[in-house]
Amino acid sequence: MNKSLKILLLVFAALLVAGCLQATEKVPGEEDKPVNLVRMGGQDMIQRLSTGEIAGFVGWEPWPSIAITDGYGKALLDSGDVWEDHPCCVVAYDNDWYNKTENADEILKRASLVQLTSVEYINSAKDKNSPYHDEVVNFTMEFGGIKNRKAAELSLDNVDFVYAPNIKGAETFIGRIMDFGIFDVGKWNQSGYKTAEEYANSLITTEYVDWAIQNKDTPLKELALNKTVTIRYGYLINDVHELPFYVAWKKGWFDDVGINITLAEGAPFQNGAFEMQKGFKAGTVDIGSLGIPPVIIHRINSNDFTTDDARVEVISGMNNEGSVIVVARDINSLRDLRGKTVGYPGPGTIQHVLFLMAADKEGIKVSY
Amino acid sequence: MKLDSGKKGLVINLFSLIGFIFLWHILIVLAREDIFNIPFMRLRDIPTPVETWGALAGSMFTRVYGPGVTYGIINHVEASLIRVIQGGVLAFVVGVPLGIWMGYSKLIGNILNPIVEIIRNMPPMAWIPLAIFILVTGGSIFIVFIGMVFPIILNTIHGVKSTDPRLLDAAKTLGASGFGIVTKVVIPSSLPSIVAGLRIGLGVGWMAIVAAEMVIRSPVGLGYFIWNMGDLGRYAEMVAGMIVIGVVGYFMNISILLFQKRFIKWAD
Repeated sequence: MNKSLKILLLVFAALLVAGCLQATEKVPGEEDKPVNLVRMGGQDMIQRLSTGEIAGFVGWEPWPSIAITDGYGKALLDSGDVWEDHPCCVVAYDNDWYNKTENADEILKRASLVQLTSVEYINSAKDKNSPYHDEVVNFTMEFGGIKNRKAAELSLDNVDFVYAPNIKGAETFIGRIMDFGIFDVGKWNQSGYKTAEEYANSLITTEYVDWAIQNKDTPLKELALNKTVTIRYGYLINDVHELPFYVAWKKGWFDDVGINITLAEGAPFQNGAFEMQKGFKAGTVDIGSLGIPPVIIHRINSNDFTTDDARVEVISGMNNEGSVIVVARDINSLRDLRGKTVGYPGPGTIQHVLFLMAADKEGIKVSY
Repeated sequence: MKLDSGKKGLVINLFSLIGFIFLWHILIVLAREDIFNIPFMRLRDIPTPVETWGALAGSMFTRVYGPGVTYGIINHVEASLIRVIQGGVLAFVVGVPLGIWMGYSKLIGNILNPIVEIIRNMPPMAWIPLAIFILVTGGSIFIVFIGMVFPIILNTIHGVKSTDPRLLDAAKTLGASGFGIVTKVVIPSSLPSIVAGLRIGLGVGWMAIVAAEMVIRSPVGLGYFIWNMGDLGRYAEMVAGMIVIGVVGYFMNISILLFQKRFIKWAD
């Protein structure tokens, strides 16, 4: 090998070492084996749990209910046990779309009203005596890709559907995401937010839901927009959390208020991170539903602050709770999962953040 | 001042590297300032060299934030390297004897050639879905094996076939057995070619492992790292991981070249 190349390599190696020295302060203690989180899709979670390849998974409904109903695993923790009534999925709009759409406010008001209508319908139909119960179970099976009726019922029970956005909850999430070191520090500084509270307040708007509440007794058709608009909608694949969207879409309530829903390019998305990056940031989604943590994370990390391309605003809630840690039979506590592999939908998802929170309470480590 | 050719080479190397980094920086800055952008690309989202350097330094070692442990790049490099070495050893153990056999015996060569020729044209990445379905564990190692075994087989065959016939004749005349001819004449004479096959194979294996780690689940590995960082919108860390892949691959290649130069002096 020629000499010059050797010297070049040496210089590079020296630089590399020099660069790393400053980062050595945070080497972990080896006292505890971490739980290893590994990304996978919902079908995979169930299949891998059944073969014993993973010791458990943390997933959104319907996967936990399917796994439990089919006997592949048992529920270890409901996300409500980790944090009661935590916010989960929300409805958000793309800021670029808002800026170039003249009657965006009117559209968003009606989208919120449809959301409210759908949530109230589902909540009343959850009752087994409701005349609409079978219908809503059918919707759950279709949207969630569920074959077993019992699993669909369980799924429905595990999710709290809501329409009001939860600013305090978002603030808590922001604080935890900061604690867990998920924000890109440089990007956070560029954002100009000083506190979690400040960020949460700028992230969520309640005016549309307020309008919806005031007008909830007016028939939808009377409030229709003057001219039908087409909205490119993004949502997550097979996510029962987003059932209110699906029900409203299928029952034609969006059409009633003059909103024509088309599937956004790339939708349904594999997880919220994809929806933020490939959808909202790329400008292919106008309005969409996804977990609030991906919104919180990517409005900072993936945003280009000169154009604010990943800026989205949350207009209403979708659901609270509704994620479950499902484990194999021989696992009886989070501690039993140490050193084992657990499936999750990906970094930055709500299940990721919730699992970290659960581990934090329990005092165990999680690698991801 | 006059530079000898070695020093001149070094200067050019250094300037080309610095020039590349400078160009990278300029392109990103121009895109961010909206002065110039390559059409259809979001150059502004790419981190600058300085940001990438900071991310590399910051993520080199394992960090702990509350309950969360994010493994350092060195852990990911280690995990990927171990997989490549495991796959490589497997490929070596299978590929070299097979190559010698196929090269030495015309019959075996004729039997196995069509099979090898077809399978070697299936890229390692095409095997990933199959590996996921049929292997309970070790999928990534299998992908590396597939990537490495064919260059090794083909180069071994080539080495065996280009053994000097005069040496073979001499050995036969002197009464060497078939086994003796293979171990004493054929293998030493084809060793340079085998090592060349190993070098090519390692290059392929290293590329294959990164792809495999993106798809096949494992909590640690460079492919996993860059995919995860991308998911979190940590683009600087993602690019830092890509650069590390390049640098490690480069050093692997160099180390085999050095090995070849030192231990197989009869090469070339």
